[in-house]
Amino acid sequence: MSALETVKAMGREAALEKIKAAGLKDYGLKAGSIAERMEKAKGSAVEAGLNNADTDQVLLALLAQSPEKVFEGMCAAAYVVGAETVTLYLPAGETTLAENLKETAGKYGVSIVNDIIDVRAAEECLLLHIVTAARLADLLEDSVDESVFISTDGNTGTWVAADTKVGDLVSLEGAKAVRMGYRLYTPEEAKELTAADAINGRIRVLGEKDCVVQEVLTQLGRDRQISCGKCVFCREGLIQLEYMQREITAARGKGDFLDLTREIGQAMCGNTLCTVGQESAWMALDAVEKFGDEYVSHMKKNKCPAGVCSAFEHIYIDPKACTGCGDCLDVCPKECIEGKAKYIHMIDEFECTKCGKCVEACGEEAIVRTSGKLPKLPTRLTKVGKFRKH
Amino acid sequence: MAVITIDGNRLEVPEGKNVLECALDAGIYIPHLCHHKDLNPLGSCRMCIVEVEGREGVEPSCKLKAEDGMVIHTQTDEVKRLRMLALELLLAGHPEDCSTCPKYGHCELQMLIQYIGPKTGRLKMRSKGFGVNEKNPLILHDMNRCVLCGRCVRACNDLRGVGVLQYQKREDLEVYTGTLHEKLLKDADCRFCQACAEVCPTGTIRDILASSEVRKEDYVVPCRAGCPAHTDIPKYIRFVKDGDFDAAAAVIREKLPMPKTLGYICTHVCELECKRKMVNEPMSIRNLKRYAAEQDTGKYWKGKGKQLPDTGKKVCVVGGGPAGLTAAYYLRKQGHDVTVKEALPTAGGMLSYGIPAYRLPRDMVQEEIQVFADQGVKIECGVRVEKPTELLGEYDAVLMAIGGHNGVRLPMTGSNLPGVLLNISFLREATMGQETGMGKHVIVLGGGNVAFDCARTAKRLGAEEIHVACLEARDKMTADDEEIEQAQEEGIQIHPAQTFEAITGEDHVTGVDFMNVESFTFDENRRAIIKKEEGSEHHIDGDTVIFATGQRPDITEAAGLTLGRANSIFVNDLTKDKRTSVEGIFAAGDCIYGTKSVVMAIQSGREAASQIDLFLGGDGDIEESLAPEQNADPYIGVIPEFASLPRRAPKIDGAEMRQDNFNLFDHGLCGEDACAEAGRCLQCDLRLQISSPRTWGDFQKEAE
Repeated sequence: MSALETVKAMGREAALEKIKAAGLKDYGLKAGSIAERMEKAKGSAVEAGLNNADTDQVLLALLAQSPEKVFEGMCAAAYVVGAETVTLYLPAGETTLAENLKETAGKYGVSIVNDIIDVRAAEECLLLHIVTAARLADLLEDSVDESVFISTDGNTGTWVAADTKVGDLVSLEGAKAVRMGYRLYTPEEAKELTAADAINGRIRVLGEKDCVVQEVLTQLGRDRQISCGKCVFCREGLIQLEYMQREITAARGKGDFLDLTREIGQAMCGNTLCTVGQESAWMALDAVEKFGDEYVSHMKKNKCPAGVCSAFEHIYIDPKACTGCGDCLDVCPKECIEGKAKYIHMIDEFECTKCGKCVEACGEEAIVRTSGKLPKLPTRLTKVGKFRKH
Repeated sequence: MAVITIDGNRLEVPEGKNVLECALDAGIYIPHLCHHKDLNPLGSCRMCIVEVEGREGVEPSCKLKAEDGMVIHTQTDEVKRLRMLALELLLAGHPEDCSTCPKYGHCELQMLIQYIGPKTGRLKMRSKGFGVNEKNPLILHDMNRCVLCGRCVRACNDLRGVGVLQYQKREDLEVYTGTLHEKLLKDADCRFCQACAEVCPTGTIRDILASSEVRKEDYVVPCRAGCPAHTDIPKYIRFVKDGDFDAAAAVIREKLPMPKTLGYICTHVCELECKRKMVNEPMSIRNLKRYAAEQDTGKYWKGKGKQLPDTGKKVCVVGGGPAGLTAAYYLRKQGHDVTVKEALPTAGGMLSYGIPAYRLPRDMVQEEIQVFADQGVKIECGVRVEKPTELLGEYDAVLMAIGGHNGVRLPMTGSNLPGVLLNISFLREATMGQETGMGKHVIVLGGGNVAFDCARTAKRLGAEEIHVACLEARDKMTADDEEIEQAQEEGIQIHPAQTFEAITGEDHVTGVDFMNVESFTFDENRRAIIKKEEGSEHHIDGDTVIFATGQRPDITEAAGLTLGRANSIFVNDLTKDKRTSVEGIFAAGDCIYGTKSVVMAIQSGREAASQIDLFLGGDGDIEESLAPEQNADPYIGVIPEFASLPRRAPKIDGAEMRQDNFNLFDHGLCGEDACAEAGRCLQCDLRLQISSPRTWGDFQKEAE
């Protein structure tokens, strides 16, 4: 008997009792008792999806693996609270998944929307994480499964026991930081955590070659993509946080950026209505708090420890080695190399994006990448062999 | 009820009411930006945050529901800090140049800055780089000034049910509000209700017509402001749309006691002002009025309305035209004994003797005049008053409303030749079936509606060739366009921009000499400056010339009243004080301000009635409420292709059918078209239902 049939057979009250007894909690960020929320829900709708803040979206795998289970759980919940409409929210970009699920959803009378959940409009609705919906289905079918879905760097993901230690899932050797859920942890902290703490199903280990500030910057950009822009702290806060991290990676960090990141970040957590605003500042807050030395290095020592931030690097053409062949000039996408045949070529640093194409093109290995100081270089076109250091 | 405490003030409020509204209603100011009294709370701007004892953190008071025993603080350090930070974040994306903003002084954001304090300058400022969108009629969008309070989106969606405006995200992730794919408002089926501009707290969405010099309700509802009698046009149009023609007619009748007449021939200033003209074409307001008046059964006004008990005071109205009859009607309703003395055989003035019957059927005019008589107004026709001062023995007050029944003969060569006629006498004689002295080739001099009345009357009387010549260029002619066009259809030739050099002939008119006007302007003293085109002398043959160059009151100093410019009767003030030089004698209508329009005359008559009532000891209040209450639904919803709905045209007989008789040829709108036309109204007045913002300044004033 399916979950929906079961719940209909046992009736609302009994189903609610069973959910209460099992102590089922919502998966993800709003981990409250589902039974309690069901009792409070007076709206006529059930809406399920990922947490709005979830930009990794690995848990969508659940819908690919067993969509019926999720729909069963959603509909069972709708039956318990007496809701008329049931909606599944998928990320805006997941139109193909939406198309694939359409037929199955139709069978359950579930409509699909490609957007984040508008929490203002859904104030009276019962909101469910899709994992919760699946678990609810399991619970009603008496096949309770406490395992969680985890994707580690690049892997599609597997089901593991909720109490599996993080150290057993990924190698923490040489790790600089660990991203789990919406937070950033030191390897020491990560050792104490379990799979259940990766509440969006993703664990990513940052090594020596990863720049924490860049990681935060990239994530803030993804958060801005999904932010609906209504809450001032989410919309404007993300812009300010992103701006400051970008300036820091571009070697233009200013003294008060860390304090300001903290102040705005903390304010965002408490002054926004959905998880996008509430969670998106945590990466930056954790980074500033736990990886302050990364920031100090960018801002005070003029160095990106991972060597990722190109602003701290220089590419120059060694005037002694350049033969004036012009191969570098031909490949430069920014046309920022000056030179002509038999003359020493020069890079305009202002325009250079440090893409490195010229380095690859040079047969003489005359183009050098360095994070140190630049040597004396010609300032005007000079014939090969004629450049002297004065 | 719940008892809550805000900053030490104990308030009794309805349980569940939002705390911000509770505070504002109790005179406690809590700053707010995204909140608007008429819109669902959004909780996004964080200006209205408060702390509640026993709860963690801060909460926006707009979304906080009052519970019994709640103790609320609006000014804690934490609240102030976060409020300041929120304001700084908002301002980071807002231009800093308040002084160049059209909303300067009325901007809610500006007032918030004054209340909360200036920003610290530590955040990254940015220019959003939106262009000012001036491509839409009536509404301008300057998204650089937007602070994303979302009021416009809620007004458009929740309040109006139109849903044109939504949050949008530009490619660079900058959020703004607007139409999908930046469609023009008209292509997005906007209803142009301007609720968005009304609720916008900043200078972002602006009413193009907004002006600091005009009262708000006048620029918001310009049709009503433009009507000399300030008829509540949007209200009666809504009744027409709902098919309640009795109610619509009652709305009209509250200001205009001759609705049908005006429905036929009103010069409709309202239509010239109608905001719909900026979207496509103006509303056909006059035809809607006509339709309502024709369908009216009198349900709301016949035997109802105001009638005060008799006062024993007697008033004589000299002149039975629209101004005199209107004044008489309202004076009677104020309880006075009113007698109208009309020189001509029938009452109506220009309605009966000036405006030709093909435009205004005579029996219909008499039917409307009967209403005045039924109210108890005594009308004596064929009685000419030469000495109004002598009436003061018998009457407590006299109103001169004698109109302008003397045509103006321009002082020029040949103007006294046989065959030269005057507009008003010609029209009057034509109406009365008397010999006019008209020949077969008629030249009408003048470019106003009266000139066309003469020309078209001549056509109907059998003239073979008719010319209308005037000084003004075609686009400056004062006649209605439809008059000019219909005359041309009837074969009447129009010659704009002509100077009248001489009327030729020895013992009878043989024609008129003209020259072309190169330019026609006025100098700073409003004197005409005419430049003629050299060598453009030409002649038009004709055996009849009709002067249609204005008309003046038929009165001389012998009447005992001081006269003013153009033989008008002098009054202290054209609108506010209609007393003449003789105590007890008032004057109204064309005889005080020159020829204008029927609706002006009616309004002038209303003003005179009120002033005479005051003079006789009444309260001067002639207003009456006839129409039923109207619950104008603000939820107007979507109408596909609303902006391009065409103006409905009346049914008009072709030139062949109409040009040889005096039958009415404009049959107005049919029932279906009237309702469809009414549905085109932008309902500009709905905007006035929206609550005004409540700013810190308002609370300061209250406190003082």
